[in-house]
Amino acid sequence: MLDLRKSDINFKWEIIKQEGGEGLLKCFGCSDCSASCPVRYLDERYNPRKIIRLTLLGMKDEVLASRFLWLCAHCHACTERCPQGIHVAEVINAIKNYAVKQGFCPDGLKVQLNLLNNSGRLYELEDFDLRKRQRLGLPEIAKKILDVSRIFQATKIIERVAK
Amino acid sequence: MKRYAIFLGCTVPVRAQHYELATRNVAKELGIEFVDLKESSCCGFPLKALDAETSLLMAARNIGLASNLGLDVVTLCNSCTAMLSDAQVKLQTSGFRKKFTELGFSYPNNIKVRHFVRMLYEDFGLENLKKAIKKPLKNLKIISHYGCHYLRPSYLHSFDNAENPHTLDELVGLTGANVIEYQEKKLCCGGSVLGVDEELAIKMANQKLFVAKNNNADVMISICPFCTVMYEDNQRKVETKFNISYNLPILYYPQLLGLGLGLTTDAVGLKFNRIRPESIFSKIV
Repeated sequence: MLDLRKSDINFKWEIIKQEGGEGLLKCFGCSDCSASCPVRYLDERYNPRKIIRLTLLGMKDEVLASRFLWLCAHCHACTERCPQGIHVAEVINAIKNYAVKQGFCPDGLKVQLNLLNNSGRLYELEDFDLRKRQRLGLPEIAKKILDVSRIFQATKIIERVAK
Repeated sequence: MKRYAIFLGCTVPVRAQHYELATRNVAKELGIEFVDLKESSCCGFPLKALDAETSLLMAARNIGLASNLGLDVVTLCNSCTAMLSDAQVKLQTSGFRKKFTELGFSYPNNIKVRHFVRMLYEDFGLENLKKAIKKPLKNLKIISHYGCHYLRPSYLHSFDNAENPHTLDELVGLTGANVIEYQEKKLCCGGSVLGVDEELAIKMANQKLFVAKNNNADVMISICPFCTVMYEDNQRKVETKFNISYNLPILYYPQLLGLGLGLTTDAVGLKFNRIRPESIFSKIV
C-alpha cells in the first residue's frame, strides 16, 4: 500500500517545468490513456494513468525508481485519445527526463548518448558501409558530425548522465 | 523539376540502403530532385527520453541545414519526421530560438518537413502517380503498416486521420495491388521498447504479423526503418517465440512503387531484403 505521508508535494511542480510536462495538472484520471495503450494491452506493469496519478500525489520514489516508466513506446495513442488534450506521451517523457536528472538513467540510453557524442550518428559509418554506398551509387555522407557534441556541451547532458 | 532536401537520419544510410536506393530511383523516375544534407546528424529522437531539449536542438540544427538552402525537407523515417516537425514548432518560440541561435545555428526560412510518402501524396497526387504506373501489381495482396510517428501526434502532423488512416493504403492501391482492409492499423511495432524489454517488443511485433498472416498478405509495406527492424530483422525471433511461421516479406513503399513504375528488382534493391521476396516475383511479372 502507498504511504501518502511520504508524498513530496513539489514533485508535480518539478515535472511541469520539464519540456513537455505542462499538461500534467489537467488530468482527472479517466484512464483513456491506459485503455488506448498498446504496451498496457500486453503488459500490465506499464500503466500511464497510474504513473500520472502517482506523480500528482507526489510519490516521487515510486515513480522515478520504477523500471516500468521506461516501457512507454512513445507511440502517442494516448495523446490522441486524452479528453483533456494532454500530450500524455510528452508528460511521460518529461517524467523520464526528470528521472535522468535525478540519477535514474537506463544503461542503453547512456550507450546511445556516447555513440552520438562520438560521431553524431547512432551507427558509426565503417569503411565497409562507405564502400557499399559507393557500389550502389549512393552519395557520400560525412562520417562524423561534430556539431552534435557541441550541442551536448551546451546542454551539459554528458555531465548530467554521468552523475 | 521539384527540389527537396533529403534527410536520411541514422538508420537508413547504414542499415537500409535498399530503401534509400529505391527512394532515389523512384524520385528520378518521377522527376524529383534531391539535395543531400551531407552534414546532417541523427535527428535527435533517440535522446528524447534522456533530455528533450538536447534532442530538439539536434533536430533544429538538421532542419536549419535545409532552411539555409530554402528547401522543404523529405524524410524516410517516421520518428525523424516527428522529431524534426517538433523542432520546427519549437523554433517559433523565442526561448528555444534564442538557445538555438546562440549555438551559432540559423533557421532563416520556415520550411516544411514531411515524410517522403506524404510528399508524394500531397505534391504529386494520387492521379499523377497512377498515370505513371507502367506495370500494375494486380496479383499482390498487401497489408500497409503506417507506424506511429507518420501520423501521431496529430497536433504535429495535421495529416490523414490518426485514428483511421488511409493515405498509405491509397498509395499502395494505385500500384494496382490489392489492399487489405483491417482494424489494427494503429498497432505499434514495438521498436521503441526493443532496447528496454526485448520480450515485450517481440510480442508487440507479433500482433501485426499475425493480422497479416490471417489476411493472407503476400507482403507488408513499411515506411519506417525502425518498424522494418521489428517486422523483418526480428521476424525469426517472433516466429521462434510464438512457434509460428510467417516468412512475410517486408517491402518499403518506394520499393513497391518502383516496381509499379517499371523499375528493375535491382533498382529497388530487392536483393537486400532480409526476408527473401522471391515468393512475390512470380506475381509481379
